Amino acid sequence: MRESWRRIRAVAENTFLEAVRQKVFAVLLVFALVLLGGANYFAEFSFQEQFKFLKDLGYATISLTGLLVGLLGAAQLIPAEIERRTILTALCRPLRRWEFVVGKYLGLVALLAVMLAIMGAVFWAVLRWKEAQLIGLEGGEAGVVQAIQAESRDPRLWQAFALMGAKLFVVCGLAVFFSTLATSTTFVVAMTLLVYLIGHLQSVAREQWLESGEKAAWFIQLFLAAVALLVPDFNLYSLIDEIVAGNVVPWRATLEVLAYSVAYVAVLLAAAACLFEERDL
Amino acid sequence: MSAAVWTQSLRKEFTLGWGRGRVLAVEGLDLEIKRGEVFGLLGPNGSGKSTAMKMILGLLRPTAGRAEVCGNLAGTLAARKQIGFLPENPYFPAFLSGLELVRYYGKLCGLGGKALEGRVAELLSLVRLGGEAGRRPLRTYSKGMLQRAGLAGALVSDPEIVMLDEPTAGVDPAGSREIRDLIRELKERGKTVIFSSHLLEQVEDVADRVVILHRGQKLREGRLEDLLTMSGEWQVRARGLGEAQRRELHAWLVQHGAEVLGEGSPRERLEDYFLRNLPERERR
Ligand SMILES: Nc1ncnc2c1ncn2[C@@H]1O[C@H](COP(=O)(O)OP(=O)(O)OP(=O)(O)O)[C@@H](O)[C@H]1O
Ligand SMILES: [Mg+2]
Repeated sequence: MRESWRRIRAVAENTFLEAVRQKVFAVLLVFALVLLGGANYFAEFSFQEQFKFLKDLGYATISLTGLLVGLLGAAQLIPAEIERRTILTALCRPLRRWEFVVGKYLGLVALLAVMLAIMGAVFWAVLRWKEAQLIGLEGGEAGVVQAIQAESRDPRLWQAFALMGAKLFVVCGLAVFFSTLATSTTFVVAMTLLVYLIGHLQSVAREQWLESGEKAAWFIQLFLAAVALLVPDFNLYSLIDEIVAGNVVPWRATLEVLAYSVAYVAVLLAAAACLFEERDL
Repeated sequence: MSAAVWTQSLRKEFTLGWGRGRVLAVEGLDLEIKRGEVFGLLGPNGSGKSTAMKMILGLLRPTAGRAEVCGNLAGTLAARKQIGFLPENPYFPAFLSGLELVRYYGKLCGLGGKALEGRVAELLSLVRLGGEAGRRPLRTYSKGMLQRAGLAGALVSDPEIVMLDEPTAGVDPAGSREIRDLIRELKERGKTVIFSSHLLEQVEDVADRVVILHRGQKLREGRLEDLLTMSGEWQVRARGLGEAQRRELHAWLVQHGAEVLGEGSPRERLEDYFLRNLPERERR
């Protein structure tokens, strides 16, 4: 058990190191940080609107960057290692295949977590900066200060942040899953994106499937059922939009979505490990 | 004690997919490699040497047959713990340095801490990648350096069996002699060495026993001595014979009923000549 964990950690660390030494990720991060900082210069509206704008742009930036990191990272996963044949020198060691898969996933997740943490910290700083600016502009009336701080120090933002992390970790899980089947990096990126997009329509497919009854042709039913059962429901994460829009989302719902994410990733990784076990290298 | 590697009727068929048929890479391969032996897998390109090795490692699943390593089913953790492997044309994660590479492989073998660091340093100096060279990214290495880094990686867990797929391909004569010396040294330390090659003259120097593969099947097998010794012939090399004595010797041979197949000054092998003419410090 200890040894197993040590090997998983070695794979994860190596994956993380590889990503860090590639300039793409640094460039992406810089780009995201510039966007986050630049968002502060739009100051034409009322302060509520300014915060709304900041949050919209901030979450869009962070989630897009995270998606790109997940996809690019996935491309560096198993298929690239097979293409470059570096996988042979790793898997001929006393390392179980599932340990390799889990290690790869954890390495990717660590990369994403670090990038999210940096972007989150910068986003937080930008909100505080806006707060200071606005208080300076609007004067120090207690009511106004309170209203501004309610926006800039809204604890629900962390809730949204956690949900976004969970969503991206599921995307990484998908990428790892496809990479155990694929031989090319393009396939992994394309399939992951496809499932990501379909995932947003999943709930529609599910309703259609449940309501279609006898009416629809069998193959349509089959297709809808497959989508409903296999594809993760990315609509669950629309709670993020609710929060950004200023609506109250109970923690209970948030935790349910987080639990769903963990379970989904676990199933994905288990399936990936099984498929990878039988594969010729 | 069980053999180092044992296979029975090993067979591998690759399915190409999309109905393009199949390739038979290895068929009916029986091997028994004893512990402490230097074993050569020979054969032309595409004869199934790499495929056989990968099956012994569990990187490929045999279509039929069975392979065991020190009594453990091939591909299990217990089996893989016994083997250090250097693949052909090894591609390593180019972003690592030689030092990090060997350390990474050590960690994958479950090593860690001070013991690992000591082992890594020792191995790097063994393959002459100590110091500055070991800290450079692999991307900047020459082919021979990469091969040596790979060797260090294969040896990191001090395995009982060292399996090298074409270790001398693309390496210059000095480097290839070094690798052969290393193989001998491993043998002296009681390790089993299995290597493949199609550079036959290099195999001669080190292998105890060889198998010759052809189109996935075993063509010949045996001790090199038995295979190569031409017991019906006799050869003498001498120094200091003058022209007259040479003619006399020839006449004596003919007189005694021998058929003279060849005589004259022997030629050195180009490889030996090359090595002899390198500056002293590079010869090693
Ligand atoms: N993944 C694969 N898919 C299909 N065919 C393969 C695959 N790997 C090997 N082969 C085929 O199996 C046969 C044996 O290949 P192998 O690589 O074992 O030969 P080899 O003896 O190592 O050759 P070389 O000296 O060139 O390295 C070849 O005909 C090759 O084309
Ligand atoms: Mg080969």
